[in-house]
Amino acid sequence: MTRHFKDVWFVLSAATLALFALFLLYPLLNVLSASLSAGTGGQSGWATLVNDPRYSSAVTNTLLLGAIVTVTSTLIGVPLAFVAARFSFHGKALIALLPMTTLIVPEVIAAQTWLMILGNNGFVTRAFADWGIRLPSFYGWFGLITVMTFVYYTYVYIGTLAAIKGFDSQLEEASQSLGVPPGRTLLKVMVPVVAPSILASALLVFTLVVGNFAVATILGQRVYLLSVLTYQSFVSEVGTNPVMQSTLASVSIGIVACALFAQRWIVSRGRYEIVQGRGAKPQPLAGLATLPIALGAALIMIVSLLPLVTIVAGAFTRARGPVMRWGEWTTANLERVFLSAPDPIVNTLIFAGIATVLSLLISTVVGFLVVKKRNALTPSIDYLSALPLALSGTVLGIGLMISFNGGFLPLAGTGAIIVVAYLIRRLPFGIRNASSTLYNIPNSIEDASISLGVPPLRTFFKVVFPLMLPSIAAAAVLVWTTTVAELSASVVVYSAGQETMPIQIFRLIDSNLMAQASAYGLVLVGVILIPILIATTVFKIDLFAAK
Amino acid sequence: MAGIRIDNLVVGYGAEPVISDLSLDIADGSLFTLLGPSGCGKTTLLRTIAGFIPVRAGKLFFGDRDVTDLPAYRRDIGMVFQDYALFPDKSVYDNVAYGLRARNVPEATIKTTVGEYLERVGLSAFAQRMPAALSGGQRQRVALARALAIKPTVLLMDEPLSNLDAKLRVQVRETIADLQRQVGITTVLVTHDQEEALALSDRIGLLRLGKLEQVGGPEDLYARPVSAYVADFVGAANTLNVELSAPTTAGALAHVALEGANLQAFAPAALPAGKAVLIARGETLKLGPAANDANSIPCTVRRRQYLGGRTSFRVATASGREILVEAHGAVPGLAAGDAAALRFDPAQTLVVAS
Repeated sequence: MTRHFKDVWFVLSAATLALFALFLLYPLLNVLSASLSAGTGGQSGWATLVNDPRYSSAVTNTLLLGAIVTVTSTLIGVPLAFVAARFSFHGKALIALLPMTTLIVPEVIAAQTWLMILGNNGFVTRAFADWGIRLPSFYGWFGLITVMTFVYYTYVYIGTLAAIKGFDSQLEEASQSLGVPPGRTLLKVMVPVVAPSILASALLVFTLVVGNFAVATILGQRVYLLSVLTYQSFVSEVGTNPVMQSTLASVSIGIVACALFAQRWIVSRGRYEIVQGRGAKPQPLAGLATLPIALGAALIMIVSLLPLVTIVAGAFTRARGPVMRWGEWTTANLERVFLSAPDPIVNTLIFAGIATVLSLLISTVVGFLVVKKRNALTPSIDYLSALPLALSGTVLGIGLMISFNGGFLPLAGTGAIIVVAYLIRRLPFGIRNASSTLYNIPNSIEDASISLGVPPLRTFFKVVFPLMLPSIAAAAVLVWTTTVAELSASVVVYSAGQETMPIQIFRLIDSNLMAQASAYGLVLVGVILIPILIATTVFKIDLFAAK
Repeated sequence: MAGIRIDNLVVGYGAEPVISDLSLDIADGSLFTLLGPSGCGKTTLLRTIAGFIPVRAGKLFFGDRDVTDLPAYRRDIGMVFQDYALFPDKSVYDNVAYGLRARNVPEATIKTTVGEYLERVGLSAFAQRMPAALSGGQRQRVALARALAIKPTVLLMDEPLSNLDAKLRVQVRETIADLQRQVGITTVLVTHDQEEALALSDRIGLLRLGKLEQVGGPEDLYARPVSAYVADFVGAANTLNVELSAPTTAGALAHVALEGANLQAFAPAALPAGKAVLIARGETLKLGPAANDANSIPCTVRRRQYLGGRTSFRVATASGREILVEAHGAVPGLAAGDAAALRFDPAQTLVVAS
């Protein structure tokens, strides 16, 4: 084969593959192999897992919680999506903001604000206590299910909404013309077509619940969960054999990998071709159904936005130690955050900033290689770039710590390991978004430029890159917002002095200093919200174009 | 400007390459069409000439220049694509100027060159438009101007008309024909549309499974197809399996047995005795009242369709084989169910190997 046809792209592919091998495959293999070595007491991690009821109950609890939250999220997400797609009513525009709330409110803040409302010292709990009613403890199953449901139902909502909007409503008319009433038509014609999308997004929720660290740790308490025990093993095993953390991490990898395989299988099998999907026009709500539907939607909206309101209120509320003095306003919390302890803010901006820039560079190159420049290496790149989705943050963090603690690349203890953790964790997100417009750019455009005498690499910068810019900008905002909120991987790899805002919030919640945590939370929400507002209002970027 | 020479070209991998051992000479300044059904390798051959697909064996010359190992961007080609491939973020002017800027041509020269070629394709008024604001025909004319503005050695066109509707197709086809003759550039056009190939080409190469089935002028392919495949692909033809009683030499009239009758037909190539294929275009056949006519066989009219300028008959032979006959104007007398005689013209009826 003549060599000039591949040179540039082949070198870039090899470099990308090397990067993935070093920071993704190598840590993953280290985790899996460490789980097989003998730990303290000479038992292998897997033997301990089976024999110690703490660990085995963590596995069953995690699976159970995943299943329950998947069901509850679906029960909220699907009807809400149907209502949003098919009906119009006052205040419906607010529903369009829902997908944003998952971005704007990091999980750690969601857990914190729910505690401030319904925890032992929560204002609702205390209000009820004042009337002599004792609410059940929010710690444990009650809190876990409630908070995770409201954190994750938006994924089901987004997936279902897209499927319903893409559904050709002529099929419904055809069914009705054949004598099937509207209700049964929905069940027999629409449900089978949109079911794969619902199932796929539900399975995504399952994987997120299994990997969830923030909510699980803050609210789990006496309910043993895999991610919590993994983190605790990591903390207690520092310096010794990383057997138990690796074993638990391997279990979580296995569970998530199974769910993701099932998801891919469903997606690949359940893709029906809808000819010119002509979505149904939303009908104005009328009649008896109006009140319950509107009330239900409103209730979900209010509960979803509650964390935002609470975090603002909490940031400006006077506190003495763990006691919130609701109704007494102050700026002292924010002053403290900005003036006497601004390090977490600075750390977050620096680490996330570097990671975002690197992520965009790699995402652009990888997206281009995988979509446009297929060669012998790109299939492996494609698979590896999706692999971080199968690793929870805790697992990734442990892998990095085992691999780069001393040895040939001693990154542990430096800020670089946080940047690497951020980068790898959010890479699938960056690649998917940065390459979303590539599918719409015909290959002939590049050929045209080359035929006019412009070499391949210059052709990329002159012709393809400008067309990729909108999606790269969207990727920039999404990678940034999800990176500054990252907790589960960074909390494993950070060292003293490198606390980021989510880590600091997590520690303050642990110390029950909710006002201080709220102040950092408010800053964090601002750091997330400002780029989103600028991108969507000034530059008119469609952040969810890739979904 | 230069002609194109292809020597023993092999493209593709494995035991069955897409193009195997193909040789072809395209004369300087001519318009050559690669014709064939989808999957025959015509686009692969074009993209190999352009330099987008590597050559496994063989040589490729533009004039005297060996371009076999030259990357596409250094081959000095103009290329026109099926989906136009206009840069969507650049105006019509910037699209046409793109190749000139890559060659560091001074802006003043670019301005006059772009102006000249936009005028040639009749789009001077659209220089500042974006591609999205143009119709399909206009877009393809911009693409043509963009390809020609760099004054390339050869012009390569990959199904340039197939995304246009019927009326525009004829318009843009004429623009291409006029411009190609004015500029006098060696052009290779890929198409699956035989009418387009016949109307535009100096010469046509009919590709089948990566091999050239026949190369020749439009009249050659239509009137003297070398095989039943060519006859059937270029226009419609009746192809009938026949027996050849004796071997025949090239260019002779052969005697073939059809339905018990002994017919004469032209053999463009030498043939052995035995099975052969008779090719007869509908308009070369004559239908008359049943009578013992020379070089004819008896038949029955199955269907008659009057189409204005011509009348189309479907007739059946004694053994039930169906043959299409086209006659000029209205033909009085013959109706469905009538017995008739079908006469073959020995000069226009071909016998080829089966």
